[in-house]
Amino acid sequence: MIAFVVFSLRRAWQGFWRNALMSLAATATMVLMLLLLAGFWILQTGLLASLDFVEQKVEVVAYLQPNATASQVEDLSNRLEARPEVADVVHITRDQALERFRATMEAQGREDLSRFLDANPLYASLEIKLADPAAIDEIQGALQPDEEPIVRNVIDQVALVDRVLTITNILRTAGLVVLLIVGVIALFIVVNTIRLAVLARAEEIEIMRLVGASDAFIRWPFVFEGAMVGLLGAITALLALAAAADPMSRFMADFFRILPLQFGTLARDTALLVLGTGLGLGVLGAWVSVRTYLIR
Amino acid sequence: MLRPSGRFSVPASSRPVTLAPPHTPSRSLRDRLTRRPAGAETERAVVVLHDVTKRYPNGKIALRDVDLVVPEGDFVFLVGPSGAGKSTLIKLLIRDEVATHGDVLVDGHDLARLPRRAVPRVRRKIGIVFQDFKLLPTKTVWENVAFALEVTGTPGRLVRPAVDRVLALVGLTAQAQQVPSQLSGGEQQRTAIARALVHDPRLIIADEPTGNLDPLISWEIIQLLLRINELGVTILMATHDADVVTALRKRVVALEEGRVIRDELGAAYHRED
Repeated sequence: MIAFVVFSLRRAWQGFWRNALMSLAATATMVLMLLLLAGFWILQTGLLASLDFVEQKVEVVAYLQPNATASQVEDLSNRLEARPEVADVVHITRDQALERFRATMEAQGREDLSRFLDANPLYASLEIKLADPAAIDEIQGALQPDEEPIVRNVIDQVALVDRVLTITNILRTAGLVVLLIVGVIALFIVVNTIRLAVLARAEEIEIMRLVGASDAFIRWPFVFEGAMVGLLGAITALLALAAAADPMSRFMADFFRILPLQFGTLARDTALLVLGTGLGLGVLGAWVSVRTYLIR
Repeated sequence: MLRPSGRFSVPASSRPVTLAPPHTPSRSLRDRLTRRPAGAETERAVVVLHDVTKRYPNGKIALRDVDLVVPEGDFVFLVGPSGAGKSTLIKLLIRDEVATHGDVLVDGHDLARLPRRAVPRVRRKIGIVFQDFKLLPTKTVWENVAFALEVTGTPGRLVRPAVDRVLALVGLTAQAQQVPSQLSGGEQQRTAIARALVHDPRLIIADEPTGNLDPLISWEIIQLLLRINELGVTILMATHDADVVTALRKRVVALEEGRVIRDELGAAYHRED
């Protein structure tokens, strides 16, 4: 068994270098396909993160009557938080609202006109972050003044949120479809290239069959060779990605910073995807290609 | 008539050194008792074809009702025009194709009922030699012969003595480290014969082994096959070489349009009536 594995590995290694041009062509194809796939994967992940980010921004703001007591507000806040579609409820008091207003003015470099006011004209509010943006209609309905007397009014965001949700859903589906298409194209091209490499060795396979080599002895060297092509392609693609990652992330640093995207996780997932796909495609391609010669 | 007389003696370098007896008597006797079908006629036969018909998927019938028994140690010429069915018969024997009808037995194995997994083991009992040699161009003579053992899982320590032995037998010890392109046609064919022999086969099938060689070199190859035959290996040789067939007066099986039209001992290439 060990002798068989050693034999197969040695033959795979020899086979790879004996047909160096063919093997390198297969590897180069593998690298390009994996880069394409990884690129789309990163884009898709970034897109999904952006969509999550946009959806997180969906919140319902309910302005409260000035005469609402602290216990009434507490009560409403607790009831809202108990709903599963609500992620978080933040109570902004009138003082906090004024502070925030002043901070915004200052950040924008505008003069703070509120100091000319005798009293705070702002209303206290409840900012309700939604776990599920699709529930906005329901939450908004439940907060109408005739349902909750302490609510003064609710800013109507339903139309806007509907539009955002439609767009994000389309983008999610389209991204997945594109990723799948790219994956299938990569599969065909790589399998075909490995097939050519095996075809170049058809005579060798024929001789092996004629001298009575068992299927395993014919198949496994090629499968290992395919795995080599896949692994080499994956490692090359990862090195290229790693080299590109630094300038890319500097370029997109601001973009990534606001996104709920873990760069380490993305790098790990991409590495796993590239390695797994490369190895899988190499093995599959070789297996399928040799099969043609074994079925008789 | 051309005869393989002293004029065509085998070169000294290719004289046989030693060849271990292919089968110890006790083993082969037991094998014959347990594996061969009963019947005096087929008792010692290496090849048995009974009522064999081969129809290809395109409808072409390559062999019709062929009966052929080749006893152990026989030397048989398979002759006939192109398309007569010689190649199909050889493909059936190495189970590259399966008969549409009838039985094909090689060394007692019914090839039609042989599970796919068992095919390689039967092929190792058959050495095959082709007109175009089928050598690997990037490997040396030694490696080409060793290849047949390596790909069948022969332990490394057994490879070297076996390869050295058959190379000595075919007279290529001196050329062991050369690649096929450095060899003459005759030397390439002797390499192929060495490769066919390295498994100690019971049967050597040679498909036009002299087709690409000039007459003098052809005789050299024939002499080598005769010598291997003398060592007890059954030989089935398909050929168009009328001179060789007629000169040797061996058994001749003639095919035409898929049928055996002649099966004679000590015969010539053409019918002599």
